[in-house]
Amino acid sequence: MPKASKGVLVQCDPSIKAIICKIDAERNDFIIEDLDDETLVIKESKFADLQVRLDQELKHTIREPEESDSE
Amino acid sequence: MSSSASQALDYLEQLPGTVHRKLYAQPSTALAVFRRMLPHTAKAIVMGMLFMTKPFAATDLDAWIQPDARAEREQALSVLESLHILGTETAPAGGAPAVGAPARSYRLAPVFAASLRQALMGSGSHRSFGVPCTGPPPPEEHEDVDIVDVAFLDEFARGQWEAILYYMVGSTGVYGTGGTGERVSSGTRTLLQLGNFVELRGGGRAMITQAGFTFLLQEVNAQVWSLLIVYLENAPSLKMDSVEVLSFLFMLGSLDLGTAYSTVNLTPTQRQMLDDLSDFGIVYRPSPTSARFYPTRLATTLTSDAGALRSGVLDGGGISSGLASGQTDDAAAGNQGYIIVETNYRIYAYTSSSLQIAVLDLFCRLTTRFPNLVAGKLTKESVQRAIALGITADQIISYLTTHAHPQMRKNVPVLPPTVVDQIRLWQIDRDRMRHTPGFLMKDFATRVEFEETCGYAESLGVLVWKDVEKRMFFVSRIEQIQAYLKNRARKAA
Repeated sequence: MPKASKGVLVQCDPSIKAIICKIDAERNDFIIEDLDDETLVIKESKFADLQVRLDQELKHTIREPEESDSE
Repeated sequence: MSSSASQALDYLEQLPGTVHRKLYAQPSTALAVFRRMLPHTAKAIVMGMLFMTKPFAATDLDAWIQPDARAEREQALSVLESLHILGTETAPAGGAPAVGAPARSYRLAPVFAASLRQALMGSGSHRSFGVPCTGPPPPEEHEDVDIVDVAFLDEFARGQWEAILYYMVGSTGVYGTGGTGERVSSGTRTLLQLGNFVELRGGGRAMITQAGFTFLLQEVNAQVWSLLIVYLENAPSLKMDSVEVLSFLFMLGSLDLGTAYSTVNLTPTQRQMLDDLSDFGIVYRPSPTSARFYPTRLATTLTSDAGALRSGVLDGGGISSGLASGQTDDAAAGNQGYIIVETNYRIYAYTSSSLQIAVLDLFCRLTTRFPNLVAGKLTKESVQRAIALGITADQIISYLTTHAHPQMRKNVPVLPPTVVDQIRLWQIDRDRMRHTPGFLMKDFATRVEFEETCGYAESLGVLVWKDVEKRMFFVSRIEQIQAYLKNRARKAA
């Protein structure tokens, strides 16, 4: 009988996936199944946490262009 | 089917069969479920079987439906079965059983069939479609209100419902008004918290949540259902029977706008509900002790497609769109459209309604306010702030499109394509991953088993991702897949 596991399917760029794997490597408590370069399954309860961690991580790596305030 | 119907359907589907059977005892409920909740194929099946006295063989049912409509048939049957309208019997249905397995046959739930027949043919002396009040109202009830007509009811419903929306939007605190909700009763405020639409922060101020934003940008009919479903889920804790609550709601959907109905035949639970429903603007009562009540347009469009169509045109409005007539200037302007978007991302909104300004403020940087106009700009920061709060780019675009000024409507497309593309790009920029909650299916014994199950998932429209090599796939819903796999295992055994 096939098995079903509950989770959140995440589809993203390979670069983002690399960061997710890096976050997961600390405690191995996010990823349920690593499917391919652009797809993985995350624990449902940890998804919001992952989003926050990812945003933090990206803030360090990506510089936003200054917003022009001219009207 | 509109989004509002599917929400209500999701709630109904997860109820147990015993609740369904109690519900279907009311002809008004059976009719409302039939006309509002079922996909068209399911309606055709129910109509075809309504006057059959014997179970109907599954093979005969298959012959009704064209082979290329297999997905629709599966969907219709699964809805009917999960609502316990259609039951299956495996005993031979008179005809010769197929080789091997006994012939499967379908039968409509007797209670549902009887009620629907009653509703359609007007037989029986049930009072499930409400008891209209005849004769003039007692004079003491109309001291401050001259006539309760359709315009008055629309005005009342709009006022009550906008107060709730404004309580939620105002809670973003940009204008310093709202958030305290003077006009919104404490029961409604508690309900909004229970539904997770607002959260109470320090000092008792309400803060809108992500779910709240989604709620806000829905069409009115969907908003009403969302709130009512929260109400239903919390009915048991208020010592109310959810079957009575639901059948009352379905009854309301079949009443006539502008007619007074008597509270005489209502159960105590339903009388208690009248108070809450008049807080929402769904019914109007001349006084809290009055023996009569008037359904408003919010009530009469609950289970009809007509209401959904009308508000569907103004989808994403969140404001008075289900209420077509009898509005104040503010709302009438809202229905005509009041927003101008320029190619340089500037926005001009001809409105003085605080609710509309507050909604715009969710995703625009507003700079100037005149008596009849607010001006501002869509910026990366303002749009991404909205997205961070859970609003999607599509919701913003659909809001701007549906509320575009008549001058803008002359353009094709209505919004400047550069602006639309940029809003989407801002979202993609932030949303670096797409996510779908659901279930990963794996460990298929054979390739055939994998391919057939996967194909079934695809025909149901729940397949999100698959990998043939790994024999895994991901589905957004699992109930029917489980049933399918069990059937398969039984057949194999």
